[in-house]
Amino acid sequence: MRQAEGMRLLTVFGERRTWGALGYAFIGFPLGVAGFVFAVAGLAVSAGLSVTLIGVPLLGFVVTAAGIIGAGYRRLGRSLLGVEVEKPTVRRRPGLVGYVSERNGWRALLFLLLRFPLAVVDFVVATAFTAYSLGGTSYPIWWHFVHQRVNGRERHGFQFVGNTFADTPLRVLAVFAVGVVLLLAAPWAVRVVTGADRLLIQNLLGPTKASRRIQTLEQTRTMAVDDAAAALRRIERDLHDGAQSRLVSLAMSLGLAKEELDGETSEETLTRLRALIDSAHREAKDTIVDLRDLARGIHPPALDRGLRDALATLAARAALPTTLQIDLPERPSAAVESIVYFCAAELLTNAAKHSGARRASVDIRGVNGHLLVRVGDDGAGGAELGRDGGTGLIGLTDRIATVDGRLTIDSPDGGPTLVTIDIPLA
Amino acid sequence: MTTTKDRSQPLRVVIAEDSVILREGLGHLLQDRGFHVVAAVNDARGLEALVENHRPDLVVMDIRMPPTHTNEGLVAAIALRARQPDLRILVFSQYVETRYAAQLLAGDAAGLGYLLKDRVADVRDFIDALHRIVAGGTVLDPEVVSQLLGASRRTDSVDSLTPRERQVLQLMAEGRANAAISAKLHLSGGAVEKHVTNIFTKLDLAPSPDDHRRVLAVLRWLES
Repeated sequence: MRQAEGMRLLTVFGERRTWGALGYAFIGFPLGVAGFVFAVAGLAVSAGLSVTLIGVPLLGFVVTAAGIIGAGYRRLGRSLLGVEVEKPTVRRRPGLVGYVSERNGWRALLFLLLRFPLAVVDFVVATAFTAYSLGGTSYPIWWHFVHQRVNGRERHGFQFVGNTFADTPLRVLAVFAVGVVLLLAAPWAVRVVTGADRLLIQNLLGPTKASRRIQTLEQTRTMAVDDAAAALRRIERDLHDGAQSRLVSLAMSLGLAKEELDGETSEETLTRLRALIDSAHREAKDTIVDLRDLARGIHPPALDRGLRDALATLAARAALPTTLQIDLPERPSAAVESIVYFCAAELLTNAAKHSGARRASVDIRGVNGHLLVRVGDDGAGGAELGRDGGTGLIGLTDRIATVDGRLTIDSPDGGPTLVTIDIPLA
Repeated sequence: MTTTKDRSQPLRVVIAEDSVILREGLGHLLQDRGFHVVAAVNDARGLEALVENHRPDLVVMDIRMPPTHTNEGLVAAIALRARQPDLRILVFSQYVETRYAAQLLAGDAAGLGYLLKDRVADVRDFIDALHRIVAGGTVLDPEVVSQLLGASRRTDSVDSLTPRERQVLQLMAEGRANAAISAKLHLSGGAVEKHVTNIFTKLDLAPSPDDHRRVLAVLRWLES
């Protein structure tokens, strides 16, 4: 462990981030100065011209250009500092006002202003450490070539205060040692000062928390709409293939029976009539079952009385023997209840179908404002998002995301499988 | 009843329907009514080869079938007719879509039918419709006509139809001859003829003597 840490002092020189940070400190200096001049001059000139017609358009231009420069910095930060910052979504109101008031442009302007002092610090630190560490470590080579005449005496090397020169072997070694220390410290120093740049990029050039939230909401809303549309399509298919077909068949049997009645009554017609009514009867009963299953699939009636009742029914009907634990201080919203119910149903079906499990468990509890649902089985494991049965799991993940929840799967090969759903309760 | 074919020889039928219940029910019904079901399949794939082999007098097919459960039946019907223009086809479906009706009847409409599945409940009418199709008539579900009437942009002319004339129009669309219409509505033959003439005048259509041509004329008019 200690050895590894010691090695780190050397291996840090091989790290991309070290050289990236150094590059950023050097390149960033002229860029920082130019950016600062642009921001200050742009703001000042547009403010000065705001009484004329071109002041406002100019400001719009400055803000937009700052946004573009920000994008350049984002790229620079990604390649040199390794900061992964998403492109912020630009929501521009229509017209000139949109250009002037565009948030991300203003944040980039602020970035350019704050970047200036940082650029100076970066540059000074990087230059100083580079110069002194290289100078110090190479001192044993060049100290002899530096010489001056002091009090008629030829002195070599670097002059300390007074008449002390670094010209004895011990002193040369001392300078060398300082050089080594500075050299070893240089990567860390550069990385520390550019760390502030990383923070600045992350906070001013990326999406704001609010806009990230909006993005998530947009995505999950699309998921919710897709999910609802898919559900409707499924219901339509089930109706079409099930109840509707059965009712047509039932009507057909009754139609035939009616025609039998129109003719003459004989032993033979009676037999045929009985058979027709028999099949009509059967079809009517099948239709009732079909419709009941369909209705339950849309909204299980037991869910009206809460998760406990609905899941108890579900567990009792499940193909695997299922234990149920529920510890909920209060009822979640109807939407959350419905999602939890259908996820549990889907997960239990998966467990019975894919895992070869012998028993399953459902555990639901409220913890610190979160609803935790754990569905486990003692099967073969190996469940993954995206694996054969996986599209179902992805569907669940999307559905859970609509209420800001997350689904995690712990399913090593050989089992057991535990799927955890974590939904924040509002 | 108009049948071109000798009744002593049973009519040969191919059924394509993906619902097992309906496929079997329909098979029994048709056998019971003297048809000979030569093949019953659950999708439209391979239907061309089947028709080639069995040379049926009539194909009865669903619109929504595997694999996509959208309109493969309709596509197959149009393809079958393109290969064999005199093939008689009844397309039947849980819903009627006027778009589908228009696509199906876009070419020669003789010997084509488009009915709601519900129509099998009235067995006699259904069998009747099958015979009209085999005889080269055009049978449209009354629902198609009412949908078209409801959606037509030519509301003035449509509104000018009396309720009786609408009834006659629907029966015409079902491919019925004047005699059948008069029997159904308990009207004299002369009265039916008058209604038909009125309809054609109100819709500004050239009268057509041919039963299935006049169906088409009405359909095209409603769609335009």
